Amino acid sequence: MNTDDLINSLSADVPPVRRGAVGRRIAFGLAAGALVSAGWVVLRFGVRPDLGAAMLGFPFWMKWAYTLSLSLAALFMTAQLARPDSQRLRGLWLIAIPALLLAGVGATELIRTPQTEWLAMWLGHSWKQCPWRVLGLAMPIFVGLLWSFRRLAPTRLRAAGAAAGLAAGAFAATVYCLHCPEVSAIFVLTWYTLGILLATSLGALIGPRVLRW
Amino acid sequence: MQASEDELRRLMIGGLDGSAVDHAALLRLLAPLLRAFCRRRCGDDEVEDLVQETLIAVHTRRSTYDRDRPFTAWLFSIARYKTIDHFRRNRRYHPMEGLEEILVAEGFEDASIARMDVEDLLEILPPKQARMIRATRIDGMTMAEAADADGISESDVKISVHRGLKTLMAKIQGGRR
Repeated sequence: MNTDDLINSLSADVPPVRRGAVGRRIAFGLAAGALVSAGWVVLRFGVRPDLGAAMLGFPFWMKWAYTLSLSLAALFMTAQLARPDSQRLRGLWLIAIPALLLAGVGATELIRTPQTEWLAMWLGHSWKQCPWRVLGLAMPIFVGLLWSFRRLAPTRLRAAGAAAGLAAGAFAATVYCLHCPEVSAIFVLTWYTLGILLATSLGALIGPRVLRW
Repeated sequence: MQASEDELRRLMIGGLDGSAVDHAALLRLLAPLLRAFCRRRCGDDEVEDLVQETLIAVHTRRSTYDRDRPFTAWLFSIARYKTIDHFRRNRRYHPMEGLEEILVAEGFEDASIARMDVEDLLEILPPKQARMIRATRIDGMTMAEAADADGISESDVKISVHRGLKTLMAKIQGGRR
């Protein structure tokens, strides 16, 4: 095909693009994936029976604050890496803030608890399942984000994959809070974060392959 | 005459607002620019393919352009990505002898952005100063030749160039702050 004809046929279809189109598309992919994950939690794991009461307490909101703020920071990275001219990332340090705050809460918790109970507090009841469930629940969200990326233009594919994996993992952890009854900050800091990091690594690993365009 | 950053950006934003005319005009201006970009990086028979792939990418991924950022940086990021992708797909092993040309071509993007910048900058100067700077610093004339060409004295050329450069320096340093 000759280039002039190509230009003519491309110019036949020029729908208007609103400001913030990239952000909306990413949010849409994330939300669609999260719905699937939430359905999975409800059907397979079951919503924790005391959810209503737990939502009045500190631990539930501590967990949500951690996973939601981490999701937002990761989405901010993802949105930047979805554009081709993303050589300089702004706000990468934001990712550290939720972890540092939670570590602060964890330290207070350790000081207040006798040493003999530290191990039980750290391992909780579900340390063996928690990281794997977070990773599993991250999959639908990651797929949702891959859908978002189909119209976007990442040029640093590994970094974009890692950012999408981090966003998917952190949001999956948010969804998992509907089920998970654990209350300790150091539990969340270790096992939730481990699941989120697994999702991030997987994203970085397969990013160059699945994000090509 | 090469289209300026401002012109390309205006057309791009017009296209994003839904103007098919602006979008078509943009793609037509981009074609020669991309052709020059690609010609330095791959064989003659591949240039048109690569230009078309890049134009399609510019079209289908246009929502990723941020209206508040430079257009050329966005464009060349896509062009560079498409070029690398093209190499990976079409010949996994790039011959070493071609490598030098590719490395040399790396300066092209900077050069074309710089040329646009210089034109933009010279516009803020009075016409005589801009003309004298262009003659002596870009076209490579001597002071005497420039004076002859414009029918003015050599010291007048020197003063114009000096004042013009001084204004430009102030502008650039002011802009960096």
